[in-house]
Amino acid sequence: MRLSALWQLAWIEFKLNLREPEMLFWSIAFPALWMGFFGAIFNELVDYYGVSLNQANYLLPGGIGIVICATSFVGMSTTLATYRDSGVLKRLRVTPLKTSTLALGFALSQLIFIALGIIVLFVIGLAAFGVQVLGSWAALIGVMIFGMVTLLALGTAIGSIARSPRAATIITLMIFMPMIFLSEMWMPISLFPTWLQPICQALPLTPLVTLARDIVFGVELGDLWRFGIMALWLVLGTLITLRFFRWE
Amino acid sequence: MAIVEIERVTKSYGDLIAVNDVSLSIEQGEVFSLVGPNGAGKTTLIEMIEGLRTPDSGSIKALGLDPTREGTELRERIGVLLQTTSIQPDIKVKEALKLFASFYNHTSNTEELLTMLSLQDYAGRRFNKLSGGLKQRTAIALALVNDPEILFLDELTTGLDPQARRNMWELVERIRGEGKTIFLTTHYMEEAEKLCDRVGIIDYGKIIALDTPRNLINNLGAESKVIFSAEDMDAAQFEGIEAVSRVEKVEYGFILYTKDENATIQGLIRMADAQGFRVSNMRTESPNLDDVFLTLTGREMRE
Repeated sequence: MRLSALWQLAWIEFKLNLREPEMLFWSIAFPALWMGFFGAIFNELVDYYGVSLNQANYLLPGGIGIVICATSFVGMSTTLATYRDSGVLKRLRVTPLKTSTLALGFALSQLIFIALGIIVLFVIGLAAFGVQVLGSWAALIGVMIFGMVTLLALGTAIGSIARSPRAATIITLMIFMPMIFLSEMWMPISLFPTWLQPICQALPLTPLVTLARDIVFGVELGDLWRFGIMALWLVLGTLITLRFFRWE
Repeated sequence: MAIVEIERVTKSYGDLIAVNDVSLSIEQGEVFSLVGPNGAGKTTLIEMIEGLRTPDSGSIKALGLDPTREGTELRERIGVLLQTTSIQPDIKVKEALKLFASFYNHTSNTEELLTMLSLQDYAGRRFNKLSGGLKQRTAIALALVNDPEILFLDELTTGLDPQARRNMWELVERIRGEGKTIFLTTHYMEEAEKLCDRVGIIDYGKIIALDTPRNLINNLGAESKVIFSAEDMDAAQFEGIEAVSRVEKVEYGFILYTKDENATIQGLIRMADAQGFRVSNMRTESPNLDDVFLTLTGREMRE
């Protein structure tokens, strides 16, 4: 693996994401606006497994989920389908660049972009609501990276299946929109009808949000099976990508 | 020494035989062109040498390497201009050069490349904001970023305006001056004639002629045409002119078919002086590679 190639690819792809107004809106502005808006309307203490913090702390993991999902899931699938359709992947393929370096480079660029989105979210949360993380930062970062990799695998899977960039965007948005409502981002899944609850729990974004919330509120990570749900989606996304990925 | 060796290569897509039993060898330092109409198999063949496609049968060696099994090593040493180059739309020219340079062990000086391709003023411009000619020049800069031993140029000038096309031709001359081997495809016979040491004419997946442009034309034994207007004259009066084999009367004047353009023109002028008539709108047409294609296939080569 050429480290210079990996870094160049990651850095340039990150900069290209910054030049994309849609990416800036959905991955950076929208999560912060969402947290700010609902945090301001329902500005009161929330009790979460015996720990009381204000509403913004409850919303923060949801905002993290939106940042990751908009970037890795919606953004990646569209980028992949666009690069394939327009011949960017084909051009990269006639260089000595290895597929593994290409994949890692994209993942790293996503990581940088997501880090930026989450920093913006924290800074606003801190300034406006004094949000805090009571649990371990290392655990929070670990959960976020696991969630990112999972949603990245699903994003590349849909980018590989979709026959056009437009199809990739439509499919991912069709999944992204309901997921925002159903993944315990702003209200507990227990408020939904009983039949809907298992579906909510099985969504790939739910474990990321709930585990991150456990850490933000500093309560014990009780539901370790949630990691299993993420791992299943990760495996599924990877298998679909390996099966359907095309260079052109 | 052969730098590319293609032996009995065949490639089909379903029922369509894109490349049919082609053998070909390219010498070190030569400019070779594959010429043929759209769909003749040019791109399939060139992409098999680059390792993008695998032949159904036959063997290919480029720089002594198998493009399928030793693709990474091969791609380290070749430069490729794809038929339609697309890079990330919002990437800046200098970013693209930096990115592509990072893929190779051995690289050219990117500043020199920008100068050579007259791209210095556009280094900070985004790729999708460039004109067609500038995009193509950027794509060539990317193909040269690893100082390649063989340069593959698929449809170098398709879609470019005449000025940009001439600039490309100058560029190819300059790159050839550096001793690189150039393999290009085109459907402009004129381009192949002007740029190439040797031309392979490909039609329906088969190479139907392979030689220097001069030999291909000479071997046709085709005649040149001297075309002109002259008032109040009959076709028969021109039949005695030197080297003329046949005279044709057309709407705008006459066409003299000749094996020796010079002798015929001189004879015509002398005759006009002696008999006191005016020759106007005179031009000549020499046989070219288009005629070679027409003779070999019985069809005109269209774009």
